[in-house]
Amino acid sequence: MRTQTLDAFQVIADPSRRQILTMLSKDSMTINSLAENFDMSRPAVSKHIKILYTAGFISITDIGRERHCVLKQDGFDEIQDFINYFDKFWDGKLKKLQMILNNKAK
Amino acid sequence: MQKEIKHTFYFSQTPQEVWEYLTKPELMEQWLMPSDFKPVVGHHFRFTNPNNSFVVCEVSEVKPFTNLSYIWKNDWAVTKTPYTSKVSWTLTPMEGGTELLLVHSGFELFKDLSAHNSGWMFLVNKLGELFKAGKK
Repeated sequence: MRTQTLDAFQVIADPSRRQILTMLSKDSMTINSLAENFDMSRPAVSKHIKILYTAGFISITDIGRERHCVLKQDGFDEIQDFINYFDKFWDGKLKKLQMILNNKAK
Repeated sequence: MQKEIKHTFYFSQTPQEVWEYLTKPELMEQWLMPSDFKPVVGHHFRFTNPNNSFVVCEVSEVKPFTNLSYIWKNDWAVTKTPYTSKVSWTLTPMEGGTELLLVHSGFELFKDLSAHNSGWMFLVNKLGELFKAGKK
């Protein structure tokens, strides 16, 4: 299987991967129990899990024979950064507009 | 986690005057970015960033002195992180000036998550916990 390096946005662009994240937001789950929720093959689910793992969205712990998936913060940070960037961008731009208009009013 | 951006600003000018700064390229450039904007629904235009990259836009709503919105995308030809979003301006006349509301929303990437709102909220709450846990 080819190794994929995707950024955070490409990772969550896929509906199945978002579904996995949503399921994990309720509780940690084993790869097997996650796979039961999908029509696709077990290897296909594993591939999505691997992508989520590589991008830092989940961590995987081996307990006995089972592999447990848990949400992890790192992957989400990049998305939050993106929103924060635009939040600051507009705040800065609007303050500039306010300054221009205030000066005009004088 | 926040999925839309909102800012409200107040100006002592009338909505007509504020509108000019949202719709005339020579005035927009003073506070935002250079562009070939026209207040015509369906008009495609671009903002030029200082680093010469583009924001690719299309006007989606023009209601003079009241509402203006455009689709706001990054330049998909050069980016590895494509996104589509929407910028909406709402002007409300007030005593002594204008209230200007900006909403930057609909980040395409978050669309499905928003559609499954309960799942999304769960995820948001979980993330809130994760952020707190991370800070300890």
